[in-house]
Amino acid sequence: MSQTHPEMHERRILHTELMWSFGVGIFVAASLSMILFTAFTISVNPPSNVERLDPKTLHLSGEFAEHNLGTTVGSDGSVTVRAIATQFMFLPRCIVVPANRRVTLRFASPDVIHGLLITGTNVNTMVVPGFVSQVHTEFTRAGDLLMPCHEYCGLGHSEMWATVQVMAQDEFKPGSDGRISCAQR
Amino acid sequence: MPDVTPSPPSEPHVLDQPWRMWSSLAVFGVLLSGILLGVLVIPIVQGRSVGIDAYTAICRALGILPGSPAQPQPATPLPGMPVSQVAWTSDLLQILARADVRRGHAKVQEVCVACHGERGDSIGVEFPHLAGQSGAAIYKQLFDYRTGSRAHPMMTDVAKALDEAAIADVAAYYAGQPQRNPNPVTLAEAPPSIVQLVELGDPKRNIAPCASCHRAGAGGPIETPVLAEQRAEYIEQQLKLYASGERRNDVYARMRTIAAQLTDDEIRGLAFYYRAGFR
Amino acid sequence: MRNAERLCLAHFWVAFAAFLFACAIGTWQMWVRSPLGANVGTPGQYFMSVTAHGVSMAYVLTTFFIMGFGYFVAVTALDRALPGKLWAWAAYWVALLGVVLTVIPIATGQASVLFTFYPPLTASVWFYIGLVLVVAASWIWCVLMLIAMTEWKRENPGRPVPLAMFATVANAVMWLWTTVGVAVELIFQVIPAALGLVQTIDVGLARTLFSWTLHAIVYFWLIPAYIAFYTMAPRAAGGRLYSDTMGRLTFILFLIYSLPVGMHHLLMDPEHGNATKFIQVLLTAFVAVPTLLTIFTITASMEIAGRLRGGRGTFGWIAALPWERPMVLATGLSFVMLGFGGFGGIVNMGYGMNAMVHNTSWVTAHFHLIFGGSVVIMYFAIAYAIWPRLTGREYQSRAPLRLQLWLWFLGMMIMTLPWHWLGLQGQWRRVANFNYADPIIAAWGPWVIVSFAGGIILLASAVLFVGNLAALHRGPALGIVRPLYALAVHPPLRVPAALNGFGLWNVLVLVLMIAAYGYPIAQFLIDPSPGAIVHRVR
Repeated sequence: MSQTHPEMHERRILHTELMWSFGVGIFVAASLSMILFTAFTISVNPPSNVERLDPKTLHLSGEFAEHNLGTTVGSDGSVTVRAIATQFMFLPRCIVVPANRRVTLRFASPDVIHGLLITGTNVNTMVVPGFVSQVHTEFTRAGDLLMPCHEYCGLGHSEMWATVQVMAQDEFKPGSDGRISCAQR
Repeated sequence: MPDVTPSPPSEPHVLDQPWRMWSSLAVFGVLLSGILLGVLVIPIVQGRSVGIDAYTAICRALGILPGSPAQPQPATPLPGMPVSQVAWTSDLLQILARADVRRGHAKVQEVCVACHGERGDSIGVEFPHLAGQSGAAIYKQLFDYRTGSRAHPMMTDVAKALDEAAIADVAAYYAGQPQRNPNPVTLAEAPPSIVQLVELGDPKRNIAPCASCHRAGAGGPIETPVLAEQRAEYIEQQLKLYASGERRNDVYARMRTIAAQLTDDEIRGLAFYYRAGFR
Repeated sequence: MRNAERLCLAHFWVAFAAFLFACAIGTWQMWVRSPLGANVGTPGQYFMSVTAHGVSMAYVLTTFFIMGFGYFVAVTALDRALPGKLWAWAAYWVALLGVVLTVIPIATGQASVLFTFYPPLTASVWFYIGLVLVVAASWIWCVLMLIAMTEWKRENPGRPVPLAMFATVANAVMWLWTTVGVAVELIFQVIPAALGLVQTIDVGLARTLFSWTLHAIVYFWLIPAYIAFYTMAPRAAGGRLYSDTMGRLTFILFLIYSLPVGMHHLLMDPEHGNATKFIQVLLTAFVAVPTLLTIFTITASMEIAGRLRGGRGTFGWIAALPWERPMVLATGLSFVMLGFGGFGGIVNMGYGMNAMVHNTSWVTAHFHLIFGGSVVIMYFAIAYAIWPRLTGREYQSRAPLRLQLWLWFLGMMIMTLPWHWLGLQGQWRRVANFNYADPIIAAWGPWVIVSFAGGIILLASAVLFVGNLAALHRGPALGIVRPLYALAVHPPLRVPAALNGFGLWNVLVLVLMIAAYGYPIAQFLIDPSPGAIVHRVR
């Protein structure tokens, strides 16, 4: 074959394969560069917060006792949302957040694995019993968003969802204790 | 058939050295760049933009410290008040598993029989049946009465007089009693809307199917009570107490949330459904 | 075929029976979750079905097919009898027992934990024991593959191992490495919990161990398809394999880069920090390399065939290919699906984009397209190619085979493309009933129905596939046995040990696994996370 078709010479084959491999390498480098670029310029990260918490005593006291759940604005103006994912609902069922302000969301599960996303946003995390899930985001538009449980957590999984109410800045007025709940619409 | 060529002269190692060297170099190179970027470069650069020092940023990225290397960490609030003091630890489950049924029987004859019956078939509509009830459920309710997480004019004092071991024994005793449905209500057929609520729930209202917790083997919360053959009046009363928030010892408002959304007809329908013995 | 036909057929029939069953219940699931099946099917039935579908497709179809195909390659590519045939049969019966032990709890509602097991949800212990038996049987297969290759090398010193066998053994070696994760999780964590010996499970550790297995397992499934690409498609097209060396490199790259990347299935999980997630994402970018290399090499091989058949011009060779041959048709259709599915994979790898699609229908669409589509269509092609040898019969006509392949391709595209779109809209996974009254969800309804239509086409294709194979058992006697394996343009006379064995690569895999998984797993042993109470699903 090589005699009549010079492109079938062993060297030629090796050469084309190496050229293609070089192109593949460029592709891999480009993909990784994009990831690195967003990591350095706008701090795009996968959720990164390794914080352990006993799921069995979550409800007794501490940060995730029922009384503490919901949205709190700290004295430094930071907005923190704390919510529980349990079989088969989120608590609070409605979470209120301000638009165009950095929000930290913290979730825990007292029982099994859950997961959640907020439609139209980059909020997406698993909620694993034994750990606190923490994500940071900024909501860009006022309105109501859907927050379903997206990981199989048992037979009631299909009915498990919450609402996220994004309020415009002028509407978002926490009480003197820094707490704020969803507006009744 | 594979190509039949004469065996080549044996000089294997000449070809091997460059392969061993270059492939090892390549793999180590890839690994090293990943580790350098992931463990050092990315956390340090990200931390710098928000004023987190390099050491903290790296520890956070590795997961040794909580928090993100790229975001400030919120402060933890003051401790809150629990709605139930029962925590299902391994130790507690061991206590329940090793409870003494005979001691429980003795205690029942002493304390509980007047209202709940010796076999767990209660004497009146205001007292729930306990025969065949989940041991974990009975334990939790007695413990909650004891600590005040749940209130009842009679049960609070009754429970305060029992110690933890006695509660476990009583729970184990009643759990082992067979259900015999002494005052049955027969539903010729269960209303379809109630069956739907039990089997499919209502995704519109966030209501999981009752069966997803209250059926044996569903894999729901440990303290889920058995509802089958329970007194209809009792179920209806408890659902209404949950709905108003007067009863608050369900961890994380699981029942309060659901009950608050049920209509009165649904509450009555569910109570009769379970009274009839559907499981 | 040196009396290995029955062994291979036994494995394939279990695989394809499970496959057909899984297609049927998969179609039922699609109906239930669509607006057309609004109040049909309770969650108990639905999640039982999802568990059965996942276990059948991911564990039974794949493992049995790969074992059967491996035995076939060991006999035909090496042209020698299979060593340890009694062991092979023993492994078959152990695996079949395992399947039975797993199916019974699923069918009685005692194992609705899905094929990915969600501890602390804990099924009946027999569910897990059954799966452990299937894995143990597959380990016997791995050892037999290694022995077959080693014995051949001893009898043929200095000669390169035929590519099909080299790739099969690469797959076996990778499987041995990857099953360690799920085996440790089951044996040390989940089964003790299922037996009631412990009351809590460290969920973070369980998920991490499972992720160890979770990526390389999909390459375990994929490598047979690539074996067909490299060693069968060029011959079927009437050409030659462009480069044998690239073939070997491809399988080696799969071996080393598919193992230390499992954490990209845990990118949204809270038990690991972004440093270790990034390391595994970087390694994930490298596992894309062998696929990209394969696309070039196989396309070049096909071009050789096309031009040999008289094709002219830049693209004229494509039309000249013998598309009427099922292996060639399947390769072409597989490549189209590989393009879409591979693109989805790159999206999943970028964790910024992953945050948009994690646990949405995009993920479901991705793995149905890439595995159910590109890989399984090659399983069909392999079965069609080797069935005549196994049965000693011939096809009357290849038209039903081609029809079946086209139906599979069309059904898969119609089912999965809308699913990708729905995933981007935020539709989440594993839902028995959607609230179609909600306006956001109502907009999804029509696309869910379109997907369902795709599923029905797939079911028809699956039935036709089994029918085609069954019909061949009664076909006319086989006349000429055409050669099966392709020759390379330049068949290698000798190759370095690195391309003829796995000693070097095993060392590198060990280094990579320690670097990628060492700390992520060690953190649970140094400082155990608080366990979650077991929730028994039985």
